[in-house]
Amino acid sequence: MKRISILLLVVATTFACGGGGDGGGGGDDGSGSGSDDILSKREFDYSAALRIAALRLTGDIPTMQEINSVAQAPDLAAQKAAYETLLTDYMNRPTFARQMFLFWRDTFKMGETAEFDTAAALAAQLTVTNGAYTNLFTQASGNCPTFDGTNFTAAECTNGGPKAGVLTNPGAMKLFFSNFAFRRVKWVQETFNCLKFPVELGGAPVDVGGASPYTGVWPFQSIAGASNGGRVNFQDVSSVICAHCHQTINHIAPLFATYDMNGQFQNQISVPTPLDGAPLAQATDYLPTGEALGWRYGVPVTDLPSLGAAIAADPKVAECGVARIWNWALGKKDIVDALEQVPTETIQSQLDAFIASGYKLKDMIRAVYTSDDFTKF
Amino acid sequence: MKRTIIIMASFGLVAGACTDSIEDTQTPIDPNGQTGGSEENTFNHENQYDVWEMIRRLTEEGPPELTSHLHSCSKVRYANLGNVLASLGVNITDTTPVSAGDLYQSGFNALGGPNYANRIRENISINTSGASRMYDIFAAAADQVITAVPTLTRCQVAGVGAQLFDATTNACRADGITCITGYPAQAAHLDFCNLAVSSATDVATGKRLAVAAILAAAYTCE
Repeated sequence: MKRISILLLVVATTFACGGGGDGGGGGDDGSGSGSDDILSKREFDYSAALRIAALRLTGDIPTMQEINSVAQAPDLAAQKAAYETLLTDYMNRPTFARQMFLFWRDTFKMGETAEFDTAAALAAQLTVTNGAYTNLFTQASGNCPTFDGTNFTAAECTNGGPKAGVLTNPGAMKLFFSNFAFRRVKWVQETFNCLKFPVELGGAPVDVGGASPYTGVWPFQSIAGASNGGRVNFQDVSSVICAHCHQTINHIAPLFATYDMNGQFQNQISVPTPLDGAPLAQATDYLPTGEALGWRYGVPVTDLPSLGAAIAADPKVAECGVARIWNWALGKKDIVDALEQVPTETIQSQLDAFIASGYKLKDMIRAVYTSDDFTKF
Repeated sequence: MKRTIIIMASFGLVAGACTDSIEDTQTPIDPNGQTGGSEENTFNHENQYDVWEMIRRLTEEGPPELTSHLHSCSKVRYANLGNVLASLGVNITDTTPVSAGDLYQSGFNALGGPNYANRIRENISINTSGASRMYDIFAAAADQVITAVPTLTRCQVAGVGAQLFDATTNACRADGITCITGYPAQAAHLDFCNLAVSSATDVATGKRLAVAAILAAAYTCE
């Protein structure tokens, strides 16, 4: 906790370009006994939990009958039992499918038209059927179902190419089309890893001629730049160290670059560059010849299905999935856009259960909604 | 914690640019034309957080190690608001100007509805436009809610409907408030409700204000 405050203070001071900052800090940073006091003063309120759960899971408030079944239960244990019975009921209603569909729309930042709704439909279908979260990245068929508000209808994606869950979704490929396919990479990173780039810092500092050293984990020369044939200098250090982000981005983006502006798979790179005339990107714009692709340093991939497998195997991706459900349940804003961080310790038990269950989505949601944190106020 | 450090490092990248304005966040265009970076010519490099907002939140609310355990105070989502209004007897398809239905339908943007075409999620923060529009909707809907509650199936227990106000004394009733808020009415709810009714210029206006205020309190912060 204190480290966060100190880091923020350092950042604030740095950001001000030496404009003061007494470096004080000190005082109560909200950690330790103060936080413990606040948390320990909370009490179970299953009526309040029911109301929020009903709004999230059914889209409406509980009925009088439901409210009374919890509120009039004789003791806390009976209230808990009544609440959990209703929770099960809510998660088996058709409205749960609709709510999950809306949740995934919002998570994916896309939807409301047929072509952009299939990714949310797939995720909602996996949720409602208690499928594995990892199928979002690895499923090889049936990745473009439709949802009519009540029922899912199976369908294949028709944009050609390999199939890897939502990673190859035509709507996602179209909506997140951009130069170099970087927007698609950013979407995958932020949606499923819950962090903005850069994400692979912590390497030994290397002086690359910039104002600060390069601290990425990939070799600085592993991405394209003016020195090794790239038409855009991702090794530029004149303002910021571009490689801090592009070390990762450039090892992923070529896989998404074969989808054109309509999200259709092509057999060659089909995304433009910001160079004069907007020529199509080339493989050597991303990486020097011979450099292999990778989800992360030390995690090589060769195609989108192998990328999907690597993402599915990344423990931080599973944690991100739990954190997103956690934030949704507790009424938080977006974990990335609003930096509503969820420390691992907060969701450790739900995360452990999620992994142990084989990443079952519906089970995980139930675990969140029955957690002490959700039911205490 | 590693994630925090990484995030802070991304702050550092911004800091490295050492700009005087946090709005000026685009990567400068390289004079050699090799690393163009702006919305006009390449991928948008808008990729950092508002440090001051983070510091403000950390100061006011506490660190994630605390806040992540606590419920936040978000407003009800747009679609859910429509569901709740409809289930309380409000005609949300009504296009009559300044009716509750009209205000709801035309309030999509004010209420923070998503803009998926531009890759923007729903805004669940409480802001002035959203809160005021929501209150306008509840004020316009109050009469419909008061009328509908006694006959709503969702408000019934063993076939007996709820009432928001006593038919003879006009006193607020707990069952009605419980039904429209989704939470067992407390003494404070009744006190507030009765005060609103008795303080108004007339009973009908007081009832309308009381219901609108209770709904606003219940749904601007879930």
